[in-house]
Amino acid sequence: MGNHKNEAYSRLGMWLFLLSEILLFGGLFILYSVYRFQNAQIFHLAAEALNRPIGTINTIVLLTSSLTMALSIYFLKMEKPRRSLFFLFSTVALGVLFLINKSVEWSIKFHHGVYPNAPRLLERERGEILFYGLYYSMTGLHALHVLVGIGILSGVGLWMMRGRIHHKHVLPLENSGLYWHLVDIIWVFLFPLFYLIT
Amino acid sequence: MRTYTLVWLSLVILTGVAVSTAGMDWGRWSLGITLFIAFVKSGLILNYFMHLKDEKQIKWIRWLIPGILAILVLFMGLTFLDIAFR
Repeated sequence: MGNHKNEAYSRLGMWLFLLSEILLFGGLFILYSVYRFQNAQIFHLAAEALNRPIGTINTIVLLTSSLTMALSIYFLKMEKPRRSLFFLFSTVALGVLFLINKSVEWSIKFHHGVYPNAPRLLERERGEILFYGLYYSMTGLHALHVLVGIGILSGVGLWMMRGRIHHKHVLPLENSGLYWHLVDIIWVFLFPLFYLIT
Repeated sequence: MRTYTLVWLSLVILTGVAVSTAGMDWGRWSLGITLFIAFVKSGLILNYFMHLKDEKQIKWIRWLIPGILAILVLFMGLTFLDIAFR
């Protein structure tokens, strides 16, 4: 029973960390809402120039990776470590796919001369410069989180292969899963706010 | 396992709904609809994938997220009180 309590407090620690992440992105979301309020029309036009198909595909990719993450934890608890590993590395692969899509999307934008501080971007209206500034910093910070998540999940996967994480000690997998799901949730808000402005 | 798949399916469907309503012109309502869908989606992820609803040991963990959202809404409200009446 004592062990259960320890695990619960360990999860609590993880949740507190996730709250700090929510506040980090929350500050950026407040900034976004103010600038959007002040430049509603320009934000709308700028959003239409974003690549909505790639954004939608990436949303589905991340949602699916959340499913495989949850399944990985489920199967480890069911004492099926091989299946659990399979789903864990599927999660990692989907994370990598997300980053590949993101880099394709960004390089198309860079190719059109739209990147932070680009001379062609700075000639445009203030609202559009703000929109792309927010777009690059918020999706960039999120992509960084995905990258960190890929690193953590791969590390946990290696630990599992060495038998350091097993059905009686699922906690490291669970906590990294919590982090991965939160990164997914942040994207759930980023996607409509940048790609679906009408 | 069936629950997880069903939750995933509803998440994908909700994404489809959000993308297709963005194509229509709903005027002022569209922001409300997309945000509502985003909140429903995150609620599904929090409760089912992250097992927030099954947290039995420390029951108040489930109040952390609503709490932090309330703080964010408060700060957003205060910010808008400033910029809207400047």
